[in-house]
Formats: sequence, structure tokens, C-alpha cells
Amino acid sequence: MLLIAIAALCAAAACAQTPDLNGIWQSMNTANWDLEEHSSAPGPLSQLGAVGATPPGLSVVEGGSIPYLPAALAKKQENFANRLTADPEIKCYMPGVPRATYVPQPFQIIQNEKNVMIAYQFAGAVRMIPLHDPGPAPAPQWMGWSWGKWEGQTLVVDVTGFNDKTWFDRAGNYHSNALHVVERYTLRNPAILDYEAIIEDPKVFSRPWKISMPLYKHAEKNAQLLEFRCVEYTEDLLYGHLRKKASK
Amino acid sequence: MKLLVIAVLLAPAALAQGDLEGFWTNATNTPLERPASVNGREFHTDEEMAANAEKARQPADIAALAGTDIHYDFTQYGLDPSQSQQHLGRRTSIIVDPPDGKLPPLIPEARQRAAARAEARKKVGQFDGPETRPLTERCIIWPGEGPPMLPEAYNSEMQIHQGPGYVAIFQEMIHDVRIIPLDGSPHPGPKIRQYMGDSRGHWEGRTLVVDTTNFNGRTNFRGSTENLHVIERFTRVDADSILYEFTVEDPQTWPKPWKGELIMTKTEGPIFEYACHEGNYGMANTLSGARAAEAEAGEKNK
Repeated sequence: MLLIAIAALCAAAACAQTPDLNGIWQSMNTANWDLEEHSSAPGPLSQLGAVGATPPGLSVVEGGSIPYLPAALAKKQENFANRLTADPEIKCYMPGVPRATYVPQPFQIIQNEKNVMIAYQFAGAVRMIPLHDPGPAPAPQWMGWSWGKWEGQTLVVDVTGFNDKTWFDRAGNYHSNALHVVERYTLRNPAILDYEAIIEDPKVFSRPWKISMPLYKHAEKNAQLLEFRCVEYTEDLLYGHLRKKASK
Repeated sequence: MKLLVIAVLLAPAALAQGDLEGFWTNATNTPLERPASVNGREFHTDEEMAANAEKARQPADIAALAGTDIHYDFTQYGLDPSQSQQHLGRRTSIIVDPPDGKLPPLIPEARQRAAARAEARKKVGQFDGPETRPLTERCIIWPGEGPPMLPEAYNSEMQIHQGPGYVAIFQEMIHDVRIIPLDGSPHPGPKIRQYMGDSRGHWEGRTLVVDTTNFNGRTNFRGSTENLHVIERFTRVDADSILYEFTVEDPQTWPKPWKGELIMTKTEGPIFEYACHEGNYGMANTLSGARAAEAEAGEKNK
């Protein structure tokens, strides 16, 4: 009788083996500037001085560098040269996966037994990740088409159905619409979530490659996501040239 | 005895909460305000219900739906209300208080604000730049996102996701999620201002009660200021329905609070990604069209 009662209690409180990923998390690295190792550098706008400069950082890529196909590497360099107008981040576009994880803003995980929701503060991007295979992506999406499963203590999320419009970082690292990402979320302890993403895209890379980084839980008692509705901040960049000129 | 103790432990944590989990639509044929055609009646007659059911099956008049003379085939894109699931309400208006089903009149201060805004709009051309276009066209926020959450012209679907200490409401329009903490924590300070405000919730029995403040004023819900205060109540009334009740107050806009209610109906998922801003070709086309028209007019005047 007691056993049944405890089982019921466990079911209700989700005290089984499922790890508790609930919380507000954030990366603490410079991957959003460049996944690969990089020294500090001036930013694209000298007016912004030190505020706009690139902070230095070590590579989060396993093995150090990204295995580009030769033609694709040239495109990456072109992206970097044009970053001031071409980076989807500067245009307030949804950041895609895995970039949403390490843009320098928090995100929140809310899980239950059916779905894991990840809401990102940046551009209000959201992923509702069902814990069952929903079948193939119905259409390309900026945040891809995700589904997850628990493998032991790790949440494994398979993401396909991307468009070819998001980048991985401000260095111009990018992908095609053939991108396939497998993410792994594993609690190291209640405050640190180990994140890995295996990135596969035969149109752009010669082999799959992997990034990894710890994510840190916001410990502030009042931590919450706030609105970062950035469309307004980018309208001048996107549409300024179409404004009516002041009459003389 | 042990069982009883555990049952008591369980009660406040799990059993007292309502189950709102799943996919819902708040699409309804009930308008916010009571139309003159029902002669002040609060509920439709059986004959009207039957006529409304028939009407709901017919595609809407294209010109009326678009609000312009431009032909835009809503049925082609699945955007016509007849193509979506909608609740056929017995009520003749979403507004239930005031009892006449109409928005209360704006107080003089609010009328002056509206007049000043209209006057300011006259000083700039409506196609001069992105800032003079409506928030919807700019893909900043859509009016039904709320709170209060009201039906949109299309895509009125949402997914409610309940996790430990939170209820999340993920609205398809325009990929916005409301994350509602249930821990009794207070709203943030007065300098935090957001289009959708800041929501805090708690359970009253099986009803989720959500209190929202900290709006930014640009939301301008029916003429409101940043001091808009919305209280919503979500009650699962049967397997397929949530009764959604809301109270709106803003002493700088209306003389007293007003209330509405509608039925949210269970629907099928998933919620698709509404990449409004990312796909906003309309803004560039609108502005370049306006510049082209000006250039053409300039040529003629030479």
C-alpha cells in the first residue's frame, strides 16, 4: 500500500529518473562572436570603441576548427566581410540552432512529461520540443523542427527542417538548408548544464563536427526573461534607405 | 494512515491545479462588442445559432476581410475564417460587463490622448517610414496577443504548456510565449515596461488567475495607457473547452473596469513558426511603392 502511494507521489512530482532542466540558463563564453578561437579585435564600427570590440575567446569546436569544404570557406569569409548588414543577428532574426543557445542573453527551459519548451530572450524565439517523433518537418523554419528523447540522463534533441538563412556566429560561420543538428543536454550538477551540438551539413562541411560548452543557471531569486523585441532597433538598418527624404 | 498523509501532501501541489495543457484556439464568431442587429439581447436565439453555423461555413467577403479594394484570396492561403475551427458562441458579445456588451466610453483624458495622437499622425505621411506603419505591419506585436488574448483575424492558435512553477502560453501569432510564474513573486519594478506586460499567476482551485501590469503604453489596447491592468481567469470547463474570462482596468482610460469572456476550444497542433519580421517583405514593398509613387508624381509636376 505504501509502495503504491509513493509511486503515485513520484508520478505527480516527476521524481522518477528524469533530470530537472527547468530554469533560466545562459552560456558564459564568446562563441557568438566566433565559435573558433580568436584574439580580441576591433568591432565593425569604430564609433562604438571598446563597447563594440570583439572579446577574445577559446574555441568551443572539438578539434579547434570547423571542417569547411573549400568553396564554403570562401563564403564564410564573405559573410564576415559583410557582417554589418548580413548577419541575421543584427537584423533581429530568430537566431537558429545552436546559435540561440549562446547568444549572450538568457533562455528558459520548462519541461513536463510531454514537451520541453525552450524560450529564448533574444528575438523572443521559442522551441516547443515534443518528446516523441512528430515526423518530418512540414516546412523550413528559422528555429528548425525539433523533437527530443531522454537517453539515460541526457536530453537528446534532433533538429532538422532549417532554412539556409541563419548563421552560427558573428564571424560568418554558416550552414545550408541541409543542416542537421543533434543537441545533448546533460546536467553536470543542479547549476551547470553541459551542452553539446553535433553539426552535420554535407553541402558546407566535409564531415560532422561538434561544439560543447557548459550552460550556467541563473541563481538570482527574481531571474526572469524580459522582452527583447528587437525589430524596432533594426528598422533603420533594414528600411532606412526607403524612408521619405526630407523635402528641401 | 500513511496513504492519507501522502494524499494530503499531494493535494496542494498537483491535485488543486487545473489541467490546461494542450493546443487551443480562441477563434470565435462572437465579436468583442454587441452588434446592433441583436437588439440588445445577450444571447443568440436557436434560429440565429443555426444561421451563424451556416454563415461560418461560407468564405468571407474578400474585400471586407482585406479592408481594401485589392483582391487578396484568403481562401488560397487558408486564412479565411471558414477554413479554421472556431467557437460558435451563444453570447452576442465577448464583453459581458458593461451589461450592454459595449466598451465603456473613454474618459475625457483618454479622448484627448486619442485626439492628440490623431493630430500627430496628420503631421507625418503614413508611408514616410517604418515607424509610421502599424505595429502589426512592422511585426512588433499583433493586437490579439494581449493580454487580454483575443481572436486574431487568422492563426488564433496557442499551446498551453504547464511545468513546475510555471504556465507558458505559446501563441502562434507572432511566435510569442507568455511565461507566467506561479510562485507568488511580485511584478518587477516600474521601469520595466513591455508590450505584453509582466504576468504573474496563481491557482484558485482549478482556475488559473493571471495578473498583468508593466505594459509599455505603446500596446495601446483600445486606447489604454501603460497603467493598463489585466486579470485573466482560465477554467477548464470540459474536455474540449476553457472558459477564458478577463477584466481590464485603467483609470486613465475608462471610468471603471470592464469584463469579457470567451470559450477557448481544443484544437490540433503543432504550433508552426510564425516568422513575421523575418519574412516581412511587405514593409520594404510598401515603402518602396510609396517612394515610386512620389517620384512619379514629381515627374508629372515638372
